[in-house]
Amino acid sequence: MLQIYRRLWQVNWAEQWQYRANLLMYLLYWLVSPVVYLAVWITVANSQGSVNGLTANDFVTYYLTLLIVVQLTSDITIHLLASKIQDGTLSGDLLRPIHPILTNILVNNIAFKALTFIGLIPVWLVLCALFHPNYSSVTGSSLLLAIPAILLGFSIGFLLGATLTCLAFWTTRVYAIGEFYTALVILFSGQFVPLQLMPPTIQRLAEFLPFQMFCYVPIEIILNQMPPEVMLRNYAVGVVWLVISMFLFKWVWREGVKRFSAVGA
Amino acid sequence: MDFFQSGRMVLESTSRLMINLPVYSCYNANRMTDAILVEKLSKTYQVPEREGGFGAAVGGFFHRKYTDVNAVQQVSFTIQPGEMVGFLGPNGAGKTTTLKMLSGLLHPTGGRAHVLGFTPWDRKREYLQTMTLVMGQRSRLSWDIPAADSFLLNQAIYRISDADYQRTLKELDDLLELSPILRKPVRNLSLGERMKCELAAGLLHRPKVLFLDEPTIGLDITAQARIRTFLEAYNRHTGATILLTSHYMADVTALCERVIIIHHGQLKYDGGLTDLSRRVAPFKLIAVTLGDPCPCDLSAYGTLLPGGDEDGKQLIQVSARDVAAITARMLAELPIHDLTIEDPPIEDVIEQAFQG
Repeated sequence: MLQIYRRLWQVNWAEQWQYRANLLMYLLYWLVSPVVYLAVWITVANSQGSVNGLTANDFVTYYLTLLIVVQLTSDITIHLLASKIQDGTLSGDLLRPIHPILTNILVNNIAFKALTFIGLIPVWLVLCALFHPNYSSVTGSSLLLAIPAILLGFSIGFLLGATLTCLAFWTTRVYAIGEFYTALVILFSGQFVPLQLMPPTIQRLAEFLPFQMFCYVPIEIILNQMPPEVMLRNYAVGVVWLVISMFLFKWVWREGVKRFSAVGA
Repeated sequence: MDFFQSGRMVLESTSRLMINLPVYSCYNANRMTDAILVEKLSKTYQVPEREGGFGAAVGGFFHRKYTDVNAVQQVSFTIQPGEMVGFLGPNGAGKTTTLKMLSGLLHPTGGRAHVLGFTPWDRKREYLQTMTLVMGQRSRLSWDIPAADSFLLNQAIYRISDADYQRTLKELDDLLELSPILRKPVRNLSLGERMKCELAAGLLHRPKVLFLDEPTIGLDITAQARIRTFLEAYNRHTGATILLTSHYMADVTALCERVIIIHHGQLKYDGGLTDLSRRVAPFKLIAVTLGDPCPCDLSAYGTLLPGGDEDGKQLIQVSARDVAAITARMLAELPIHDLTIEDPPIEDVIEQAFQG
């Protein structure tokens, strides 16, 4: 099995390098959105000293950390898989004696991540030079504690993303559902605004949803802002969601393939 | 056994290939354990249907009408290990649907099938490991990278040992001349080159059962011949069971002694290729060129076929039983310059079988 993943990695890694223009577009996108967010919040924070206790430096460190965390936890499964289901090319994958999603699509995600991460580093350094973040609160142990959260965030995101994409077995409108899902993620993950600035109801809800594991929880752990008991509770919620998303994916995949093989590929 | 080596010998001598052709023929022999058993296999698709126009589009949103399409109806046949069978039928006959059911991609709506003892649509790892489905350009290869990389991936997926992999690849390379194209990204290959890589990718794990859907489609004559020769050698030396569809009769006549014909999802014929013309179209063609222009009425001897060439050659279709008598009569009554008796082209015979 290890050998399969190794070869999958070689193939997908080689493949990713074919999409250089694609990568460039991502770099521009990354550069633009934090600059906009930061420009707004720094102006607000500076004019009133702080926003809900968050200083200008808090915003700078939050958004710059967010850039890296989102990159690590996000997944592109819908772009890899939905079209394969819809045009029937999934058949080719189903002929192989391996699970197409838990092997090829997973590795493809990771290869994409690895390559874009390399591209992200210079962007990140440029932004650091522009905004001078003060990272004095970050320690070695806060970084270590965040690693499981990032892994958990990616695992949940990957499985939920795959589950959602599998809806393509039933509907051709999966991208619309995907957009709605992305909106939920942006709202409840802390990707748009740090969650502590959200209305209390949203904050309460977010505590029970899987999405804060994608951004907010890892960021707060890295920045040493999360009290241990909160961290523990968030980890517990994350593990529960991991289990839920595993079952969801397993079920949707099984039913989906059944349907795929009923209507014809 | 080193099947590809002998395959190359065959390649070097086409005449030998033709002589050696009938090797595994047991469809009428005593039953061994069937490699493929298909019993009353059926597949009905539900296809949404609506009239054109805006009103119908809105109506269809709320209340969708479905029609049943019987793609495959109660088809039964068995294929013995090592047999190479041609699976024929016009477009939409149900060939691909059947192949997809046999390779586990489709659930049937009725009947049963066993391939090497497995029920295909259970999609057991052991089954997928031992069969292959090669469909035109539907790919086992990643588009953006060289085929060699995809091959290495297949090596891992099918758990092929390094030694076996190297040997098989070398042999495939010898037969299909892969080396010049293996390092180029698949998207830059020609249709024929891609098909060769596709076949190789499907055969690296040395499957025991091969389902081939139009393996020579879009290829030039030379490439077609090469792939035919290759399949013949593969079948002969591995004893693999092969079921193939093709629009090129040459594929079928060169490779398969036995053909199964389906039309509108129903089995129309299952038997020897030579028997086919006798049973379905028991007639011969008399090609005749008259010495002097004469107002003779050739239709008095049989059915005069349209066409004929500029040399004045004309084709008359007569019943196989009467061919000797009619020929004798024509030779006696007409100013014959040239006369030959021909079998009808296999395409026409099969066309007739479709209609029957």
